[in-house]
Amino acid sequence: MRNDSERTASAGRTASADLGPALTETVVVAPDAPRRRRRWSRAVSLALLVVGAALVLSFPFIAPNPYILSAGVVILNYAVLSTGWNFMGGFTGYISLGHAAYFGLGAYGTGLIVKYLELPGFVAWVLAALVVVAISVPVGIAALRVRGASFVIVSIAFVLILLLVFQSWREFTGGSEGLIVPRPFPDLLRPEHHRAFFYLFAGLLAAALVAWWVIDRSKFGTALKSIREDEDKARSLGVPTTRYKLIAYVLSALVTGLGGGLYALWFGDLDPIFQFSILIGSYMVLMALLGGVRHLFGPLLGALIVGIALEYFKLEFGDTQFHLVAAGLLLGVVVLFMPDGVIPAVGQLIDRFRPQQTSIRDVSAAELLEQNRRSDASATGAADAREASGEASTRDASDVSDASDPKEVTR
Amino acid sequence: MNLETVELTKSFGGVTAVDHATVRFVDGKVNGLIGPNGSGKTTFFNCVTGMIKPDSGSVAYRGKDITKHASDRVARAGIGRSFQLCRVFPRMTVMENLLVAVRHPSVRTLLRSADDEHERERARHWLRRVGIDHLEHAEARNLSYGQQKLLELAGVLMGDPDTIMLDEPAGGVNPALIGRIATLVRELNEEGKTFIIVEHNMEMVMSLCDHVVVFDRGRPIAEGEPSMIQQDPRVLEAYLGV
Repeated sequence: MRNDSERTASAGRTASADLGPALTETVVVAPDAPRRRRRWSRAVSLALLVVGAALVLSFPFIAPNPYILSAGVVILNYAVLSTGWNFMGGFTGYISLGHAAYFGLGAYGTGLIVKYLELPGFVAWVLAALVVVAISVPVGIAALRVRGASFVIVSIAFVLILLLVFQSWREFTGGSEGLIVPRPFPDLLRPEHHRAFFYLFAGLLAAALVAWWVIDRSKFGTALKSIREDEDKARSLGVPTTRYKLIAYVLSALVTGLGGGLYALWFGDLDPIFQFSILIGSYMVLMALLGGVRHLFGPLLGALIVGIALEYFKLEFGDTQFHLVAAGLLLGVVVLFMPDGVIPAVGQLIDRFRPQQTSIRDVSAAELLEQNRRSDASATGAADAREASGEASTRDASDVSDASDPKEVTR
Repeated sequence: MNLETVELTKSFGGVTAVDHATVRFVDGKVNGLIGPNGSGKTTFFNCVTGMIKPDSGSVAYRGKDITKHASDRVARAGIGRSFQLCRVFPRMTVMENLLVAVRHPSVRTLLRSADDEHERERARHWLRRVGIDHLEHAEARNLSYGQQKLLELAGVLMGDPDTIMLDEPAGGVNPALIGRIATLVRELNEEGKTFIIVEHNMEMVMSLCDHVVVFDRGRPIAEGEPSMIQQDPRVLEAYLGV
């Protein structure tokens, strides 16, 4: 391409002539600090993880009575459901308020298979999970055609339809009378039953967390997160968004359905109004938002907080609806003051007490010149070196005013 | 022929934004697409890249029909694009922004770690090329507009496109940066990338482009070398209303 470099250079010349050389400019630089900090935070997270796992595993022995133990099972169940929800909500930003649909399908699927096919409880549980996957594929294809508020409405519509079906189809599902699911361990006493299921839920939660973690670190996870940020832009970069969203949706349904199935085997009595309630779906969202949807342990932490709060309010205010008011207030507080959830809010609080990071600092004119000289040396050499350096030294002149990070340090 | 549209038409209600546009862009060149505001350039871009569905007409890329392709398929066919109001993923780091691009999706790439050192090295290469490699760990929303513009370009390049469509690369950036982008386009073109550039900055178009198509009221009114275009009476009329 002949004299084109000349032309380009002339464009650069006229351009840089308009601006005097910038003396100093603020440039975001990434020194070694983040790496060191990351190593630190990794050690801290690992320690927390070990302590947390030890606490969970020893809980059945610490729990003073079966009631507390059963509350622990409930909270772990919520943690599974909310983590399941977060496969969709956290990665892609698609807020499903109707995820109770898969909780209910997993539970009823397990119960109905045990009842009609007379299979062992845990075989039924796995089969029900497959049924959930089979249902979530076409539902996902339909629901994911719309975004934002429309997706929320579609998800609610789905759970309401299922509620009606399971309520009215009396001969098959037992309708409002409910469905009794025989216990998988008939010989166990009540506390032992709770203990066994505590560990089953803990195992399921661990599996779900590992899966979420793997996706979070994968290229697939990066693509899902880009959908959350800007779906059309992600598509323009070649991300097959339709397929990826569907995979995330089905995974999310699967984990939620497995949580529902385990609930059926544990609780042993299913009622459509509870299984397919918007309330359960809202709790999943509330817990994930509370803890932080961008974090692996966000939903778990949220389940812990909301679960304990709900149990407490139920004890304190008995059969009133006050626990709902409290949950509503909690959601309001989260959205207003911690839009990213507890984990990032705490992280920011800790950051405030750290020594200031100079993640953004000034680059002196001399440093900049040196940078330019280096970049010129590596340039193809086609462009006139002096022109190019004049061009580059002013390249970020506009950035001085734009560096909006509060941690900015100016000299 | 790189990209070719035949009778491409798109209306929004009563407004025909692209009106039976038959346009050809040349392979291996820097093609320019200019025209007054509202002449349908961006809509044309969006129709070609599958962002919106044209009402009628066809789009072919290197001989293959891509009219009905969704935008992700168009991208994987080898056409990368930027947006008029630069779009990056604000709450992802600069590095993560680059790791999004997918040219050949497979189950393996699906499960591959985003920390893949080969990909990272490739990303760093493009960050160095556009000159923002020192920002690797910064969140994209903390970058200035000019830097975001460079980040968007690097992100597009990560997808390894053969053809790059830039919608107003000089829009809203300071003159020095315009020169930088122009140099980069020229270099990449020499490395074999075809460009199609929508631009208002006449100086840039005239100095950079090998082939220019002029749009007015949703259809091409002239095309040819920049020097010829500048003297075309139809172009002067469209621009200046002479």
